[in-house]
Amino acid sequence: MVIDLDRCMGCRACMEACKVENNTSEQIFWMNVFRYEEGDYPDVTMKFLPRPCQHCENPPCVKVCPTQARYQQDDGIVLTDFEKCIGCRYCIVACPYGVNFFNWKDPEDNYYGLDWDDKELDSVTDGAVPPWKNPDLDKRYGPDERLVAGSGHFRGTTEKCTFCIQRVTKGLDPACVETCPVDALIFGDLDDPQSDVSQTLRKKSSFKLKEELNTNPKVRYVGQTAPQTDGREIEAIPIEARD
Amino acid sequence: MTDLAAAGRTAIAKSSTASKVWYGGLGVFMVLGLYAFIRQEVGGQYVTGLTNATPWGLYVAVFVFLVGISAGSTIIGLMVHGFGRKGYAPLATRALLVGLIALAAAVTFIMLDVGRIERAVFVPLLDRNLTSVQFYSSLSYILFGLILLMGLYYTVKASRGMSTARDAKLGRWLAIAAVPFALVVLQGVDGALFAGIQAREFWNSALLPPHFAVGALVSGTAVMMIVAVVAARIRGRDLVSRDVLTQMGVLLVLFIAIAAPLDFFDFLVFRYSNTAGGDEAWQFLAGAQLPFSILHVGGYVAAIAILLSSKRRKDVRWLTAAAAVALVAVAAYRYNLIVVGMELPLLPFFANQPYWPSGIEVMLTLGVIALGLCAYSVLTRVIPMEEEDADPAASPLDATGQTWTPQTTGQQPAK
Repeated sequence: MVIDLDRCMGCRACMEACKVENNTSEQIFWMNVFRYEEGDYPDVTMKFLPRPCQHCENPPCVKVCPTQARYQQDDGIVLTDFEKCIGCRYCIVACPYGVNFFNWKDPEDNYYGLDWDDKELDSVTDGAVPPWKNPDLDKRYGPDERLVAGSGHFRGTTEKCTFCIQRVTKGLDPACVETCPVDALIFGDLDDPQSDVSQTLRKKSSFKLKEELNTNPKVRYVGQTAPQTDGREIEAIPIEARD
Repeated sequence: MTDLAAAGRTAIAKSSTASKVWYGGLGVFMVLGLYAFIRQEVGGQYVTGLTNATPWGLYVAVFVFLVGISAGSTIIGLMVHGFGRKGYAPLATRALLVGLIALAAAVTFIMLDVGRIERAVFVPLLDRNLTSVQFYSSLSYILFGLILLMGLYYTVKASRGMSTARDAKLGRWLAIAAVPFALVVLQGVDGALFAGIQAREFWNSALLPPHFAVGALVSGTAVMMIVAVVAARIRGRDLVSRDVLTQMGVLLVLFIAIAAPLDFFDFLVFRYSNTAGGDEAWQFLAGAQLPFSILHVGGYVAAIAILLSSKRRKDVRWLTAAAAVALVAVAAYRYNLIVVGMELPLLPFFANQPYWPSGIEVMLTLGVIALGLCAYSVLTRVIPMEEEDADPAASPLDATGQTWTPQTTGQQPAK
């Protein structure tokens, strides 16, 4: 994935699309757009940084996971097998990008006040599947048919961005890419020189987050410089799981 | 089993008022712990103070502290078997018991910390990931638990005068193997669990595994000093000689003299490495975490100040105080290590979220510790201890008086 920071306007439509597509619980943001400022007054610049899972080539989360619940597919996408995760949160600790989220409580108790079994929703949707319950998430993916897309977002397990495995498998772009109104997010094959991502990387200088750690993220940023050490978050999204 | 049950019933019947108050107090904490456990299991871990920004907290800090106590106390307990320090003989069974209970409590804390206990139990057996340090640490707990159980078996057998020469030999070799295992494997791997995490600047230091090993020696020695003093109070006569207690005090100050510079220089290098983390860590240690920093540094300074005085080194009360403050210092260090390591922001603009354990976390922690203390109190009454042989006439020392060897049944003890 290539993220063009010159184009990003911080609208957070990608975050919304991610939530609708992946039905993530309250305060869990597989895609997060940080709004931050750099520099000292009066030379202050406001910046945005969309941050999905970086799907590292050398992912620390895969190394530390004691049960192989966190693994890397042949195509480089890093996924979580919800049936193997023991919820030790070692992946959260080891990830340099803070992209992992633990389900601190039962997800059905954590859906923005929505009740999974609320019969009134049926009357509104006329029996159709509620828009926030994507049936594709219950399917199994990959050669080993593992439960990786999100499904019930089980309590006591850790989850993160899957690059919308349920969409990519069908040949579609991830929901965030599809939704971005200014095409700041581009998805494709980094190994294919003709792909949009490769062409964009040839046109503009790029950086990887925390390049010095040699995790070699598959998410590349173009258009601006990497966040400086004096960056200050303007508007923090609470990532605590609280009542 | 019947013998044990009968011994337990007799022990309860003979309980003094102090004993009833002790068990009553532990019972209260255990009931509160049970309540907290039910709350956490029913509602989920959102009842803790943990967040996705600080996913590890009090449980992990206590776990690390207890594994250190387990390793350290075992080494002190094995002084007699492994190094022939006869004066430590009356501590052997108690030390192994402390080691075993501390290890069991540590594993309990990990089980309370993980989201899916039912899966975590089988980590070392199923779906193992050979690149994960956690897999090796799980294995090391199982192996160390087995070593402790075997050590306890041989020690109890010896104190009952039922040892054969083969038992004595095996017990000795087990003790010799257990010391490097406790320090290098158990504590080394535990340190590597944190040190290997590149994303957490505060932990990512090669000094951490040896630091864990020395910290274990400090906490283990301190705990066994307290155990010796408390046991003497309960029995109404010394468990180990005053000389041995003073010797443990000297050992304690030596271990602190190694641990404290490791703390200091590790942090100094980090602070001067010109990273944002160095500044942030300092702000945490001198800010939100200041009470724990004071307990850490102050505890070491106080223990050293007490133990450097030859007069105080011979005073049981001062020795107990030094052991207590050293223990508090190690606990505060472990807590700060975990919390500050977590709270340093991963990216510059990540908002810091100070972590404080919730009431449920604290209650559950105290409940598990009370359970461990209760198990120790009951087991020391039920399991025969070496002091039964403390009478010099019956002392299981070899002819030279240098090496402690268990009593045997009709066979010559191994030397």
